[in-house]
Amino acid sequence: MGALDRLSALGNQLSGGAGVAGGKAKILEKSADDIVVTACLRTAITKGGKGQFKDTPAADLMAGALKAIIDRSGINPGLVEDICVGTVLAPGGGATEMRAAALVAGFPETAAVRTLNRQCSSGLQACVDVANQIRSGMIEIGIGAGVESMSTQYGPGAVTEFSDLLESHPEAANCKVPMGVLSEGMAKARGVSRASQDAFAAASFQKAGKAQAEGLFKEEIVPLKVKYEDPKSGETREIVVDSDDGIRAGVTAESLGKIKAAFAKDGSIHAGNASQVSDGAAAVLLMKRSTAEKLGQTIIGKYVAASIVGVKPLLMGIGPWKAIPKVFELTGITKDDVDIFEINEAFASQCLWCANELGIPQEKINPKGGAIAFGHPLGCTGARQVSTLLYELKRRGQQVGVTSMCVGTGMGMAAVWVAE
Amino acid sequence: MASMLEFRTPGFNPYAVKYSPYYDSRLAVAASANYGIVGNGRLFCLGLGAAGVQLEKTFDTNDALYDLAWSEINENQLIVACGDGSIKLFDMGVHDFPVMNFHEHKREAFSVCWNPVSKDNFISSSWDGTVKLWSPTRTGSLTTLPIGCCTYSTAFSPSNPALISAVSADSQIRLFDLRTPVSAKYHLVSVIPVHAPPSGPILPRLAPSAGGAGPPGPTYAGAVPAEVLTHDWNKYNTNVVAAAGVDRVIRTFDVRNPTGGPRSVLMGHEYAVRRLAWSPHASDILASASYDMTVRVWTDGSTMPPVMGPGGPQLPPQQPQDNTVRMGTQLGLMNRHTEFATGVDWCLFGTGGWVASVGWDERVLLWDAHTLLRG
Repeated sequence: MGALDRLSALGNQLSGGAGVAGGKAKILEKSADDIVVTACLRTAITKGGKGQFKDTPAADLMAGALKAIIDRSGINPGLVEDICVGTVLAPGGGATEMRAAALVAGFPETAAVRTLNRQCSSGLQACVDVANQIRSGMIEIGIGAGVESMSTQYGPGAVTEFSDLLESHPEAANCKVPMGVLSEGMAKARGVSRASQDAFAAASFQKAGKAQAEGLFKEEIVPLKVKYEDPKSGETREIVVDSDDGIRAGVTAESLGKIKAAFAKDGSIHAGNASQVSDGAAAVLLMKRSTAEKLGQTIIGKYVAASIVGVKPLLMGIGPWKAIPKVFELTGITKDDVDIFEINEAFASQCLWCANELGIPQEKINPKGGAIAFGHPLGCTGARQVSTLLYELKRRGQQVGVTSMCVGTGMGMAAVWVAE
Repeated sequence: MASMLEFRTPGFNPYAVKYSPYYDSRLAVAASANYGIVGNGRLFCLGLGAAGVQLEKTFDTNDALYDLAWSEINENQLIVACGDGSIKLFDMGVHDFPVMNFHEHKREAFSVCWNPVSKDNFISSSWDGTVKLWSPTRTGSLTTLPIGCCTYSTAFSPSNPALISAVSADSQIRLFDLRTPVSAKYHLVSVIPVHAPPSGPILPRLAPSAGGAGPPGPTYAGAVPAEVLTHDWNKYNTNVVAAAGVDRVIRTFDVRNPTGGPRSVLMGHEYAVRRLAWSPHASDILASASYDMTVRVWTDGSTMPPVMGPGGPQLPPQQPQDNTVRMGTQLGLMNRHTEFATGVDWCLFGTGGWVASVGWDERVLLWDAHTLLRG
């Protein structure tokens, strides 16, 4: 019947299998059906409540990032069929203002927009959903994005009151235990010492500080002009935000060791070894390789596969430990095939535990620092990791990367990317 | 390799070879133009004589041929699996055209097997995700067994006329028992995941020769799911099935314990394994043909005393644990094919070592496996 079907069946029989050799070679192959990234970028990430984006609503951040995607890729915005924005805290899911943000950014009304919320992995889920839409033929070109303005939308209203029914089920009730409290419990239960957490966190600050000093983030950050109210003078002025303000120079394990634990008297987690509360946005332009070549888009990398897993709500921090092997199973690669792991540093304790359990060497994890150093704007992070990863892979001349994060209420997500 | 007979199939790339169950001098080859990707098929019926391998008859088809099986009730008849989804019954006494055409599969028919026990029916599998049971005298199928994905190979149990096995792209062996009622599962009685990890300890590979400290064999620890391309029932132990495919590893399973993982593991092929055939003469010997262009002869280790490694201490005399996984041993390697080796079959007659193999190099090779064995 179809000669092409027969040919591709044969090709799969030859290239598949033998977990030892087949996996990496297969994901490095280039085919017209690949879902590729032709532009990825992020805004600066700034401190929640006092950073330079403190007066900038999430939609304005997103509009800035989306406009930059058009500018940087040179894509005709009329060709983009769907935009998916991951955002966690926005009331009403942020659906209305993100549609408006896309119009402001220069997309015509023909570009559809939706938002989604899978907590800390929303940005990655947005990219994966768009990639799957393209793969299935539903759309040809799409944007996966993420945004969070924790300055304007973080607070006690983020979770509605649990009903008696939810409270009556012990595991269900665990879903609302605050992240800090449960991570403290997990660090204790899994024996992650304060000293090792502080050392990991200090390394994150030092790596990010070095990368910032060398100007490495300039490639991925798009400067935004925003209004900023000076807390001292009370005057509002326009500023250009082009660098992360959470990165502190001179942080050491010793200096972190002096900070008082935040969630328990004898605890180990504190503001210095957990992710920062931040504002920021990121976006990734996705399409098929054949489309990119037809349009003359520069291919930066490709999306290979993603995994999603559930874990116990109280052990949400172990999510990457379960999600990463699953995505390896889907792709047939092993940890040795991966050059860089971007694992979100929700807490030093959980990131370190996952890395140790998986046997990932320190130098492969977050080589430019992570959320501990420059912040974790919830919905943004998953999309932010893509640009951090692809630019660093390119800089090092390496190819295979994994992005992963733990997800509140007990989930984990991971994705495999290849830089080209 | 001293004596080897050769036959060429110019313009056609063979996909399968089968010896006749009636004559030691008759065999047939299913072949396709252009590697089976696009074009015609041709069935070659060959005879062995004093002058070597002679062409007795050919039948041409409009689409590629992927497999064949000899009839068990008529020594002149045989069926082929055709790329257009049809199964065709040819009679060597009738020129050119099939005597029956069975066309229900919606995509490429990829394997056929004649019932060796009741001899009055045969089965076919297809890329359309079904196995169909047929009577040679009726054009409509008797039963359709759903698999759900590309089914590369199907076979009857050699001891039970109602037991049908199938392997498919989803890394599973399925067993159907036609004696069970047609329930929601359509006679499905068990599913064996081929990639499942071993449930028991793995015995190391046997020493290749007495006293010789061979290189350490590859280790085995389960695998990721991969397409299963071929399988075969052991001709002596009615519960053992061997399966292999894209992940290059040959495994044997006990069908009574579908979740128990492999009984033995045979590693060595460098590309996907395309065809397996248990020896009709010895319970532990099987041959395999692979895209790595080799045909290999193996023992699954089931008849050998367990040894703890080259020169290592013998196990205590009691039986090894029931769930012990054996590493099979490669007894010989035939590397005369210069393209993908796609078919292999054992001659039922003679001294017990004659093997026919075919490959995309447009060649049929007949050779004595005894000459491959070491020592």
